[in-house]
Amino acid sequence: MVVFLFGLVAVAEGPVTISFWHAMSSGHQPNLQKLADDFMAEYPDVIVELSYQGGYGDLQQKINAAVVAGNPPTIAQVYENWVTPIVDILYPVGPYMTEEERGDIIDGLVRSNTYNGVLTTVPFNKSIMVLYYRKDLVPIPPTDWQEYLDMSKDLTVDSDGDGTIDQFGTGFRPAANPELFLNFLEEAGGSILSEDWSKVTINNSKGLQAMEYAASLAPYSLITSEYMSNAFQANQVCMFIDTSAGYYYNNQAAEAAGCEMDVARVPMGPVNQKSMIQGTNLAVFDMNQTQAQKDAGVLLARFLLRAENTVYWAEKGGYQPVTKSAYESEEWENWVATHEYQQAMSAQMLDGFSQILHPNYGDIRYVIATAFEEVMLAEATALEGLASAALEIEDLLE
Amino acid sequence: MIKEQILRFGRRFSCPQEWKSRSYWRETGTAYLYILPAFAILSVFVFYPFFSAFRLSTYKWTPLASTFNGWRNYQYIFQDKYFWRALWRTFYYVGINVPITLFLALLVASLLNKKLRFLAFARTSYFLAYITPVVAVTMVWQWLYNWQYGLLNYFLGWFGVSLTNWLGDKRFALPAVIIMSIWRFVGYEAIILLAGLQGIDKMYYEAARIDGASGFQIWKKVTIPLLTPQIFFVFVISLIGSFKVFTEIYVLFNGTPGPLKSAETLVYYIMRQGFFGTQHLGRAAAASVVLFGIIFVFTLFQLQITQKRVHYQ
Repeated sequence: MVVFLFGLVAVAEGPVTISFWHAMSSGHQPNLQKLADDFMAEYPDVIVELSYQGGYGDLQQKINAAVVAGNPPTIAQVYENWVTPIVDILYPVGPYMTEEERGDIIDGLVRSNTYNGVLTTVPFNKSIMVLYYRKDLVPIPPTDWQEYLDMSKDLTVDSDGDGTIDQFGTGFRPAANPELFLNFLEEAGGSILSEDWSKVTINNSKGLQAMEYAASLAPYSLITSEYMSNAFQANQVCMFIDTSAGYYYNNQAAEAAGCEMDVARVPMGPVNQKSMIQGTNLAVFDMNQTQAQKDAGVLLARFLLRAENTVYWAEKGGYQPVTKSAYESEEWENWVATHEYQQAMSAQMLDGFSQILHPNYGDIRYVIATAFEEVMLAEATALEGLASAALEIEDLLE
Repeated sequence: MIKEQILRFGRRFSCPQEWKSRSYWRETGTAYLYILPAFAILSVFVFYPFFSAFRLSTYKWTPLASTFNGWRNYQYIFQDKYFWRALWRTFYYVGINVPITLFLALLVASLLNKKLRFLAFARTSYFLAYITPVVAVTMVWQWLYNWQYGLLNYFLGWFGVSLTNWLGDKRFALPAVIIMSIWRFVGYEAIILLAGLQGIDKMYYEAARIDGASGFQIWKKVTIPLLTPQIFFVFVISLIGSFKVFTEIYVLFNGTPGPLKSAETLVYYIMRQGFFGTQHLGRAAAASVVLFGIIFVFTLFQLQITQKRVHYQ
């Protein structure tokens, strides 16, 4: 409380300008501006300058360049693995939040924003893996792995008999989206590394079960590097797992193909039914910032976590709210009631999981993507793919 | 004996006669002033990044505390199978792309040099492929290559060729990039060669004809030798450009290096190491230095050839 008041006092000393670097393209910008305007109306002594930095890749490079130059923004969108190399120059948000605020953040997201035991960043634009399917071909979506496999098999057809499959049951983008394998891994009860990151566990029996399951889907899957919406529009796939952030594009593709699309939870695995949460968090920088700027940055991060704001951001941008109170709010309940597809998305958020915070996660993810692609394109067996991945990941732990 | 050696050494560094005149210094000073603006801009945008890439290649880079790493980045890339594969693919791409494009460009330039109808239209059409932004062109080719609905497979179907998964099959991914690149650069190279063809003095042809040379003899003994400056220029430019191929691959395969990395070239490898999710700027810089070395050696080699084989009118 004292810290909170200190923040207010610091802000109240005079107008303070903070820069907010983001990668939200034009469709999202009016929504972000509205939230910034609301914040400035409540805290008239703070001026928030929103600054679009291009795509996520550009944003990361610009943040890194700004850190090297000693001049980062006050607050920015960041992915978990961007934070690990620069965590020392971040101003942790958690210690300046109330107990109630911290406890309100979804548990899985607290874990993925906590570095060295401190809640350093806070979740911002979050999406979750869901199953998209064509209602005309899939009247009842699959609920578990076996059903998903059986239905994929049944829906794979060579309609003109020329020896080439014209319609696949499902589809994967293994090189671009290895998160699908990570989802299977989690549902099989497996993990990439042991709890303390000292051992590679991706190739244990659970990992093998996940990869073998993926491999069993391969003959009935369109393997591509393109967004699935293209294949959906061309009637080449009947269902696929993808991030909820793609809802708008996938729905547009379904409409263009003249069919109806719906969304379901990812099929349940042998151990549990879990879904991977993706998207960025917000970091406040502790480099070349005045105390007033840092305090204002923290205030903005906390403001965006309020139920009404995270719900507004989710409704307008196609993301998922990030706090428990938001899911319990009347506003969100009404929204879900009128937008049926949101039910499957919301249902998975509360026990969703995020990427691990290992400093070499970028490299680890790349190794997994390579193995996943080799297995899905039948270049390697599940065992071979995981064995070579495990060796490479081991090198990355040194 | 030693004294003589020292004297000879000293003479080498003695002040040349012209250094003593004031007009020499005025002229030299003026010359340096003229090149100063270009030199300043090049220093900031070329020379500094160039040397800093060398320096970076010996560091383990992190945003907060980069540390000197000696040759470890070079050791890493030379032990990395993906580096060698990328290098091989780059040579494969250059080795096929450059000669075929040049040959077709020569052919097109020779055709455009004839008195054709709609000549201006034909020239513009060929050049359009080059001036259209590469991302836009690549996205169109993405559709042309679509295995199920693409025009290319449709046309190949007329000749009984079964559906080819151009972008999804590791055997066809790099050839797909090569075909697109050839299409893109033939027009550009042809226009330069055409300018060369039109600059050849008619008297050489007349003299050859009077001497009874056949059409092929004239082409071989007159046209080609007198076109060598343009051919050489086009060759150097396309060779350097081909070694740096990246954007086409990045767009064609939606940000991936093709199925099973089958189209990962050296620049893609550099970008992946440095910027795509991993931040190994030191390794990326080391691979860049290797690429620089390769292009440098090729350019030196070409300069040697130029001095012997290029004929100026």
